[in-house]
Amino acid sequence: MNKLFHEFFKGIIKENPTFVLVLGLCPTLAVSVSVVNGIGMGIAATFVLLGSNVIVSLIKNTVPARIRIPCFIVVIATFVTIAEMTLKAYSPALNRALGIYVPLIVVNCIVLGRAEAFAQKAKALNSFFDGLGMGVGFTLALILISAIREFLGAGKLLNHAIFKGFEPAFVFSMPSGALLVIGLLLGFFNLFKRIKQ
Amino acid sequence: MREMTRYGLILAIICAAASASLAGMNSLTRDRIAAQAKAEEEEGLKAVFPEAADFKPVKSKEKVVYYQAYGRDGGFLGAAFKARGKGYSSVIEVIAGMKKDGTITAIKILNQNETPGLGNRVAEPEFRERFSNKRIVDLNGIQAITGATISSKAVINAVKVKANQVKELIGDEK
Repeated sequence: MNKLFHEFFKGIIKENPTFVLVLGLCPTLAVSVSVVNGIGMGIAATFVLLGSNVIVSLIKNTVPARIRIPCFIVVIATFVTIAEMTLKAYSPALNRALGIYVPLIVVNCIVLGRAEAFAQKAKALNSFFDGLGMGVGFTLALILISAIREFLGAGKLLNHAIFKGFEPAFVFSMPSGALLVIGLLLGFFNLFKRIKQ
Repeated sequence: MREMTRYGLILAIICAAASASLAGMNSLTRDRIAAQAKAEEEEGLKAVFPEAADFKPVKSKEKVVYYQAYGRDGGFLGAAFKARGKGYSSVIEVIAGMKKDGTITAIKILNQNETPGLGNRVAEPEFRERFSNKRIVDLNGIQAITGATISSKAVINAVKVKANQVKELIGDEK
């Protein structure tokens, strides 16, 4: 039980995919313009991570090492397509806002990274919690980045204007602003870790 | 050689399982996706032509060219149409309504991926309202958004070009 907790919580802080492993930055930079997008992307990626981690772990003994990558990609692509269909059917507006980045979860290195580094060596239950933890960590990181960017870049939070007379800095809505925010947050977390030691 | 066949077989089995689950998922969501697309389209048509009660698509080679708008009493009011124009960083897709005398009722941006804070303001009511009750010939005079001339012009031109075409098509239908 303790071990499962460990698998879950390590993805949130100790091995946070965005701020510690620094994986999957392309979708992070692109969709973190607003908190709603961030949450949507986070949930879609978490769903894919969960599904692919469990299936990869279940088929790990049948799949020969030499063809594991194509096998994993097929599994991941299947879950991504399921996520995309669900988004289209139940939230077309969010699907349009996330655009090409939903199908691109297939090549999100967090997903293939967890399949390679964890799920293909671990039990299905452990892989499930690893995927869940990584997904939650990714979602929280997206929410943090997109909250900062939405507030500074558009003067809003969750599409609500916070206060009047605030002139937003457009640069935060653009990819360059995303790089700035992520870089500063990374530096801040590293500083925090060093002080704690 | 035997290894190769084994690998191929394993991969084929995985792909078959993936296709089967996707086929299942597709049949579960297909109707809903189609319904969502239809609802969005109707919402767009209503938004640009509020007075019309009924829209009839006019097709040419299976593609919808424009929609004829009819009032509550069944009288022909005008047309609604979609137009596309190349903006600054994306193709802007817009839907517009036009009365039969050639004045624009309203426009709505369906799809765009312009620069946040600048180009994407073409989707805001402040810009869209500049189109209301304008005749086609007056569209050129619409004020562009400061800092987003390319995006604004793309919308204006797209609407103008398509409006002229549609005007000609509905010309003999009074």
